[in-house]
Amino acid sequence: MSLTFRLTQPEDAPFLSLWLSDPHILCWFPMIDAREIEDAVRIWIGYSKIESGLTALDNGEPCGIANLYIQPYAKQKHTCLFSIIVKEEMRGKGVGKALLGQLISLAKEKFQIEILHLEVYEGNPAQHLYEKMGFVLFGRQSHFIKEDGRYSAKLLMQKRL
Amino acid sequence: MKQEPVGLDIRYTYVTDSPYLRQWLDLPQVQKWFPVSEEKEIEDAVQCWIGFSRYSCSLTAVLDGVPCGIATLFLMPYKKVAHHALFKLVVDPQYQRRGIGTSLLKNLKHLAKSYFRLDLIHTEVFEGNPLIHLLEAQGFQIYATQADYVKNQGEYLGRILYEVYL
Repeated sequence: MSLTFRLTQPEDAPFLSLWLSDPHILCWFPMIDAREIEDAVRIWIGYSKIESGLTALDNGEPCGIANLYIQPYAKQKHTCLFSIIVKEEMRGKGVGKALLGQLISLAKEKFQIEILHLEVYEGNPAQHLYEKMGFVLFGRQSHFIKEDGRYSAKLLMQKRL
Repeated sequence: MKQEPVGLDIRYTYVTDSPYLRQWLDLPQVQKWFPVSEEKEIEDAVQCWIGFSRYSCSLTAVLDGVPCGIATLFLMPYKKVAHHALFKLVVDPQYQRRGIGTSLLKNLKHLAKSYFRLDLIHTEVFEGNPLIHLLEAQGFQIYATQADYVKNQGEYLGRILYEVYL
């Protein structure tokens, strides 16, 4: 594996759409069908305009994307929500950890973010990565997801940079 | 228990209510409880907020024909999360402490449950916001607290996230 990183580009959108279309990945996101995925990808990749997204490349091919959702209001610009995704075949190889490390540097150095936070569904294996990287729980919404009449919780975690 | 003011009516929000919302958000005593702090931010917030009126998920309190408060459900765009919604509520400061916020919130909960079939609604407030008393009186419970979420002229304030099951 030869891992490099660059800013996310609009051309990365098809990779993001493809990964999100995998049911094993999509189950950890709020979207459920192609139209919703398309909408989410448009918003996510839209941040490439302000260069707040990073793409991990394995031998030159995208294998993971992470994005800082930079706040539109001055009073909240020191905090930032982020999202991250790693291609299914590249899971468990340190891509997520490396990509998140790069994203934290970008948040601190370019955007002067003081608090980075995330939302993750309870049971998502990525929660362990976040804990290892110093994210701590600050909230839990127990009925956030509803599928087939059953609810799942959303965990809110943050890290001070 | 506070009596609703005589002449208070609750109706759906119209796009023409925008100037009132803009005017309230421009007042320092209102603005301190919202993320906006300048004209461009207020304009963006008003556009987004009033934009939801097209789905009939926003209510305006009207006293003697003049808007004095707005409460809006920010409906979720994805099916898995469409059973809940964030809401925002604001009352013109000159009409606060008269039960208008309570009336708006009760009506909004009813709209959320009866028309949109929502299971819960939630909101976020900054520490010290007087709305907290109203939320707690209406059965809202805290599900998250995040310190230092707002930074205004070097001073930090936390945010508190509340939810209520309908």
